[in-house]
Amino acid sequence: MTKRGKAALTICSTAFKTLGHAQASALGKKDLPIALMPHPFGLRKREEVRAIAEKCVDDIAQLMTKAGSK
Amino acid sequence: MTASTPAATFEALDDLDAINKLYRERRWSDGLPIVPPTPERVARMLACTQRKRDDVIAILPPGFGEATVERIAINAVMAGCDAEYLPVLIAATDAVAQAQFNIQGIEATTNPAAVWLVLNGPIVQQLGVNATFNCLGQGTWANATLGRAMRLILQNIGGALPGDMDRATQGQPAKYTFCCGENEAQSPWEPLHVERGFAREVSTVTVVPAEGTLNMNTHSKDAEELLRVMAESMVHPTSNEYCHGGEPWIVFAPEHADILKAGGLSKRDIKERLWELTKMPAGHLSVKEILRAQASRADEYGAIKPDTLLSIARTPDDIWFIVAGGPGTHSVYVPCFGNSRAVTREIT
Repeated sequence: MTKRGKAALTICSTAFKTLGHAQASALGKKDLPIALMPHPFGLRKREEVRAIAEKCVDDIAQLMTKAGSK
Repeated sequence: MTASTPAATFEALDDLDAINKLYRERRWSDGLPIVPPTPERVARMLACTQRKRDDVIAILPPGFGEATVERIAINAVMAGCDAEYLPVLIAATDAVAQAQFNIQGIEATTNPAAVWLVLNGPIVQQLGVNATFNCLGQGTWANATLGRAMRLILQNIGGALPGDMDRATQGQPAKYTFCCGENEAQSPWEPLHVERGFAREVSTVTVVPAEGTLNMNTHSKDAEELLRVMAESMVHPTSNEYCHGGEPWIVFAPEHADILKAGGLSKRDIKERLWELTKMPAGHLSVKEILRAQASRADEYGAIKPDTLLSIARTPDDIWFIVAGGPGTHSVYVPCFGNSRAVTREIT
């Protein structure tokens, strides 16, 4: 996406932080913003996911805006 | 496509212990000692292919490394391969990089998926690949080193280092090495590569995303009963295959294959029987897994309810098997990653 001039960020759980950074770096996008969610994600109830989403939505929007302004 | 940069060389002490210490520190090994890939050894390996050393065979996720012929050869030397094995690894590297194999998913997942190499055709005899006694176990140079080289290629070129980009929760022993031939001489059916569209005299390698192996020991001499007990062994609610509609594999012992053949069953018959017999009520899955199945298989089933009978694979044709091993009443179920399809390539 960033190569196409679009603002982009990746969202992953904390257990995949290393993978996210390593892959971004391998693709030549070392500064790709990565938003981290607490792990494990897949075991959470829908309401918990919603609560996490509401808690981080502002941070993600800020990261996205920052990425878009580059 | 040619490589952007050749493989780097460096000078090291002419001392095996010191070299292995260096490879251990730099995480260039799989945890076992390696054969130092000196320029001379790599050159001997490269002499066994017509391909140019800087030809890029594939870009390997998750690190997106360029798998050149030279880099494949280097890892083959490190694994202890004979020079003649190189064309197998070139074909296997091309195979794992095909989109339907989903190597990105296989390498970066928490699942223990390993790459199983299945060889068919004259190359099995030519390289001394074991397809009989203990063919999935220890003891044969070609099986051991080819499977090991595949792992080193994925780790060193593809960047799938455990705990970094290889996120396997535990992994499995087959991630060290997993390679065998099909025992075509003792198979009552056409060999795998012929079934997959290649001429019998062609040599091929098939890459399979294997989650593990489950021994299926039965002394049954009845074809229908044999399939029933094997199907019941294959059904398990923690399987990825039911969530995604997978591609399970079986290694039939020659004795079991003979019983099935004597029962009048073709390959197609066996696939259809197993597909029916392995159906499982979705209610056997956990609630979370039903949701995963719903996300993956809505196109097949619509709304999945607890009494929906889920098949292990989307179609009977997605169940595959080979005949391999020596005498005995042991066949092997090889559950697979689910979100992946095996790929076969000719070895040239």
